[in-house]
Amino acid sequence: MMEIIAPYIDVTRVVMPFLVRGFIETLRISFFAIIAGSVLGFAVGLMRTYRLPLINALLGLYIHFLRGTPFLVQLYLFYFVLPSTGVSWLSWDSETAAFVTLAVYTSSYVAEIVTGAIRSVPREQWEAASAIALNRYQTMRLVILPQAMRLIVQPMSGVYVILIKSTAIVSVVGIAELTRQGEQLIITFPNHLLYIYSLIAIIYFLYCYPVLRFARWLEVRVGGVKSVPME
Amino acid sequence: MTTWLLDYYNWRVVALYLDEFSRGLMATLNISAIALVLSLIIGTGLALARMSTRPLIWRPVAAYIQFIRATPLLVQIYIVYYALPYLLPFTLRWDEMWLGIFALVLHTAPYMGEILRVGFESVPQGQVEGAKAVGMNALQRLRYVILPQGFVNTVPPLLGQTAILIKDTSLLSLITVFELLSAGMIMNSQRIMPTESFMTVAAGYLLIYALMLVLSGWVSRRLSGPAWSVRQP
Repeated sequence: MMEIIAPYIDVTRVVMPFLVRGFIETLRISFFAIIAGSVLGFAVGLMRTYRLPLINALLGLYIHFLRGTPFLVQLYLFYFVLPSTGVSWLSWDSETAAFVTLAVYTSSYVAEIVTGAIRSVPREQWEAASAIALNRYQTMRLVILPQAMRLIVQPMSGVYVILIKSTAIVSVVGIAELTRQGEQLIITFPNHLLYIYSLIAIIYFLYCYPVLRFARWLEVRVGGVKSVPME
Repeated sequence: MTTWLLDYYNWRVVALYLDEFSRGLMATLNISAIALVLSLIIGTGLALARMSTRPLIWRPVAAYIQFIRATPLLVQIYIVYYALPYLLPFTLRWDEMWLGIFALVLHTAPYMGEILRVGFESVPQGQVEGAKAVGMNALQRLRYVILPQGFVNTVPPLLGQTAILIKDTSLLSLITVFELLSAGMIMNSQRIMPTESFMTVAAGYLLIYALMLVLSGWVSRRLSGPAWSVRQP
């Protein structure tokens, strides 16, 4: 019995510090991308509800482009194509490119949720607000957004899980996050490949599963309607 | 007249690789189609197992679904690509495309299963009771009453999941499967023209996406599904 387990204990002892370091990087990237993506997506989603002719068309293109292409293609566009334009401030290092791609990718999901939630607030709320002499800004801030918020919060945690899982893909441009650490460790321990990748999968699970459970809990608590398919 | 465009997007070089790109596009569609059919079949099985009243059946299936949903597809692809041939020796003879399809099905089937389960559960209990009243056995109830009605309700979300599946095939380029993104990477490695290579790839995916939008628009006009599948205007 001991002979079977012993090598795994040795491998675990060597591998764990690297995986923990990778996980902290995953945590860091996903945390900042969540914040940037939510802010950007909120702004885009809010702007879309005003139906400004030209801006709306541009924002529609932005969202369709992001929803219609795979994340990996977007990452290559930011990492390979932008530097080739020759504009110096667009020559990003891999860290910036990965972060921006994640944030922009997240923003497309968030924007759709926010637009959907705001549009689902009944028209009468706008009419009632103007009847008590609130201006557009006050109506949005005091009447519409508080009601839309309960439709926004629940699907948002689904988006965060999508984002966390997408951070695995930025390993291909050399970000030393969890998946990347694993790729390098299996060069050292090719015989324990399955074990190392299983550890990685378990770490991702421990990160994502509570978020998914939280989404379920919110669904019961807030009773929101699913406006995007949960992934 | 159009020569200024050559500075930004050299379509003459793209034209040389057009054959490569169209083969890549066909490979992407091919892989997606195979993975879609297998995912739907296995997903239906998972949905039925998940709805079982026996804990020995539904608990492992539920655990599998949760595990797939909470881990990245890329890690699943790596595990299948590197470890599956050792776990199941008969897969040693599979080429990377079939290993990639295996990983995609492993990942997509639970999502399809969850969508189908919601659809099956939305079939009113009265339908089942009615089927029992006319003397159908469990298999007949499934075949003639639950599956047809449950399936119709789920077409719009299934199309959405299919669009995700098509985009997910791009990750197979990382395990050396030839598909649309690989075609762009081949062009980029030979010509070092990232704009032309990857913008063309993006255009290919957008073409598929546009077709999917048209299809799902047509479907949602044809089927008046239940409230939860109606898109926000």
